[in-house]
Amino acid sequence: MNFHGEDLRKIYRTGETEVQALRGVDLDIEAGEVLVLLGPSGSGKSTLLNILGGLDRPSSGRLLSGDLDLTALDDTDLTRFRRDRVGFIFQFYNLIPSLTAEENVRLVTDIAENPMEAGCALELVGLTERRDHYPAQLSGGEQQRVAIARAIAKKPGVLLCDEPTGALDSATGVRVLETLEAANRETGATLVIITHNAGIAAMADRVFHFLDGRIARIERNGSRTPPGRISW
Amino acid sequence: MKALDRKLLRDLWHMRGQVFAIALVLAAATATFVLSLGVHHSLVETRDAYYARNNFADVFASMTRAPRSLVDRVAAIPGVRKAEGSIIQYATLDFPGRPEPARALINSVNEQGRTELNRLAMRSGRLPQPGAPGEVVADESFVKANDLQLGSRIAALIYGKRQVLTIVGTGLAPNYIYALPPGDILPDDRRFGIFWMGEKALEAATDRSEAINSLALTLERDAHAADVIRQVDVMIEPYGGTGAYGREDHPSHAFLDNELVQLDAMTRVIPPVFLLVATFLVYIVLGRMIQTERTQIGLVKAFGYTNAEVGWHYLKFALVIAVLGAALGCASGVWMGRAMTRIYAEYYRFPFLSYELDPRVFLGAAGLSFGAAALGALGGMRAALTLTPAVAMSAPAPPVYRRGVVEAVGRRGGFSAVGHMIVRHIARWPGRSAITVFGVGLSVGLLFATTQFLDSSRAMLDGFFFRAQRQDLMVSFIEPRSEAALLALAQLPGVLRVEPSRAVAVKLSHENRVERAAIESAPRGGRLSAHIDVDGIEIELPANGLMLSRQLADKLGVRSGDQVQVEELGGRRSRLSLPVARVIEEFVGERAYAGEATLLGITRDAAPVGSALLRIDPARRDDIMTKLKDMPMVLGVSERDATFIRFEDMIDENINTMLAFYISFAGAIAVGVVYNSARILFSERAHELATMRVLGYHRREVATVLLGELALLVVLAVPLGCVLGNGLARVMTTMFSSDLFRLPFAPEPASYGRAVLIVLAATAFTAMLVARRVMHLDMVRVLKGRD
Repeated sequence: MNFHGEDLRKIYRTGETEVQALRGVDLDIEAGEVLVLLGPSGSGKSTLLNILGGLDRPSSGRLLSGDLDLTALDDTDLTRFRRDRVGFIFQFYNLIPSLTAEENVRLVTDIAENPMEAGCALELVGLTERRDHYPAQLSGGEQQRVAIARAIAKKPGVLLCDEPTGALDSATGVRVLETLEAANRETGATLVIITHNAGIAAMADRVFHFLDGRIARIERNGSRTPPGRISW
Repeated sequence: MKALDRKLLRDLWHMRGQVFAIALVLAAATATFVLSLGVHHSLVETRDAYYARNNFADVFASMTRAPRSLVDRVAAIPGVRKAEGSIIQYATLDFPGRPEPARALINSVNEQGRTELNRLAMRSGRLPQPGAPGEVVADESFVKANDLQLGSRIAALIYGKRQVLTIVGTGLAPNYIYALPPGDILPDDRRFGIFWMGEKALEAATDRSEAINSLALTLERDAHAADVIRQVDVMIEPYGGTGAYGREDHPSHAFLDNELVQLDAMTRVIPPVFLLVATFLVYIVLGRMIQTERTQIGLVKAFGYTNAEVGWHYLKFALVIAVLGAALGCASGVWMGRAMTRIYAEYYRFPFLSYELDPRVFLGAAGLSFGAAALGALGGMRAALTLTPAVAMSAPAPPVYRRGVVEAVGRRGGFSAVGHMIVRHIARWPGRSAITVFGVGLSVGLLFATTQFLDSSRAMLDGFFFRAQRQDLMVSFIEPRSEAALLALAQLPGVLRVEPSRAVAVKLSHENRVERAAIESAPRGGRLSAHIDVDGIEIELPANGLMLSRQLADKLGVRSGDQVQVEELGGRRSRLSLPVARVIEEFVGERAYAGEATLLGITRDAAPVGSALLRIDPARRDDIMTKLKDMPMVLGVSERDATFIRFEDMIDENINTMLAFYISFAGAIAVGVVYNSARILFSERAHELATMRVLGYHRREVATVLLGELALLVVLAVPLGCVLGNGLARVMTTMFSSDLFRLPFAPEPASYGRAVLIVLAATAFTAMLVARRVMHLDMVRVLKGRD
């Protein structure tokens, strides 16, 4: 799934203070591309990710995904967009503690348009054995892989990952990145990863460097480094 | 202001919805408390002040005719402070254009205002003048109900003589606070009035020169009423005395007392239910709040705040809710109390009846509210006090879900992931879920228990009016008559059937217990009256011995098979011992029945007929009424259907007011419980709900998780509520029953439905309020909140 954004701006107002989270971002993301967003806290990465995923709307500007104008969609259509096309992965997994691994995946397959089997998604992330475990019974890495299974189960056009390895040790982090990369490779989903870890940038086709709500620099890697060879 | 107090204020503001919802439940408790205790207090105070100011007598007696000199002899009995004699005489009134007769009970009053006992409180006009024969003071309610004024003239038949009465004043007296027409069970201001006529004038009208037929006595403080009554009985016996009795047997006093018993019962049952729910709510909400504030608690403890200071902080939170609840409850209790008092003022004839509150009622209400809140707070606080700062500051362990019974059900039921989320959350917090179920159940139960009184009343009405009374008219005679009177009635065109209704005044005793009663009888094979017990079963009069109502049997301490001593009051004063053949569970009064043969055994002559039951051709009703009005022997006519309509009106007026109150009370519980449960649920699940929104669930689908859990709990609460309501209703029915009335427990299935529907509506409304929050859930913020 591709994106085309023009002059995207986002202003948050809390009381009398106004925070400009995005100050005019132009971008083009190609279908199947692996993109890493790098930058300090508050530089606008998460805001952009939320806007790309239809969780939030820009205050101004235009964002197209294919021929779909995301900025013109109402709440119901944005929800449908997320339901059918977007997979999210967060730093703290956001699994439902009362549901087992498989049921967490089913939470998505219950509603998506053309999902894969929940068991199949778990198999892709190597967690078939742990399908009946509750989140509290899984390690951090396992929980994140459940979250990935949940995200890929709907066969999304794009996987949006906000610090997916932020809470994990390096070995587990690599495992998670490998799973993401495999998902990108096998499903053709566009992969967008936010990270503070500059090493991860090596696995991307392109890297967007963020500063003060703008894309300060775009870096294109000649070739993608497999996650296993990334220096952490 | 200390920083911790500032935090308290902000917490209160932040949780204002939940604070208000708990306060609402506490308010309902204090309101019922203030309402019933306040009305009770007002009635007792008003009654006592009225009794004292107008010298309500302690002992009463009536006789056929006694010389006035008897009064001095009675006054000389040791322990009697004051004795007065008077004439009390029924009269028939004739309002032109009205076929049915109206009745008046005329009391003699000293024209110079020297009557001291049961003294008349003049409301307007003046006392009758000496030597002015037709002048009367009429009771205020009768005057109002019949659109009369001072100076109005009414044709009356007194003691067989026609006379025109002129109303010269209106008044009230403490012995007629509640005045029932003879043979009736409800007051009827239009057709029955109390009049006061000058002593001399009434003596002349009733041929009782220097004679009396009624005595009233007040006693010295240390006098023993039973001794005095015994001596009075001996003195009045030669004059056809029918036995002296104390206040407890005085009809007006007894009715008022009955009302007070019911108000008292209300205070004992209803507020505790609310307080229980409120205590639980404070417990849950505070417990939950403390859980979310673990880190802060650890922090302030780490700074050096003591457990007592932290505990006091949270206790203050509960106490603020208690203050709010008590204030709201007292205010609405007073408002409702005023409304109730206005209703009482219509049925009880007081010269003044103001809703007055004892400050102790407020103190009690505030105390209950504080107690419930503090109790709930202490339970919720325990966790905060036992946490060490280090533990408190670390994040709580994630909730651990396990497979259980619910799980098995879910698997078998093929639940969706959302279905699992709902049932597992309930199973994870069983205590809290149970309290929600219990709270909603209680509100269903309370609503059912109070509204089923409508069914009770209707079952009583049905038994009393339609099944027991099959006559159209009951004609009461001025004096007991012989069978000839029945013939005269039977000859009126349009009268289809006439049956006598006999009654003999007696004193029943068993061991050392004595009760006054009238033994009633109906002819064998009679079709116009029946004895229906509380279960609706028709009971035959026993061939031998007495049939006693349960209330009377209990008072005498007898069971069927026991012997009771029967002493006829008046007549031949025969004494004999009769077996109790049967005890009947009845709705109304302490009554005794016997077959005609048994009655004959007591009176030895044919027992006189006190009244007659008539079945008539409805088309000739007006003609018959007009004829009856002209018959000198007829004192009054009560129409079954008219009485029934008045009863219905009373139910509509009074019970509907009460119902409105109870619906709002039960609504308060439902709203309080559901709102708090929903808010807690929402705050616990906000993160999960936001995650679901991110995953592409629509707002409505996300709301299902929240509403689904609530709905499931409410569904569980419904049968529990019906069971609780059934139990509560039985207790209340027993507590509301008095010597005068016994309420049947006969709920209609629809009453369960009504209670359930009202609570469901309140629940749905409240759930919608919280569901709106789901609609406005800010996904990004909630997800960021965790990170």
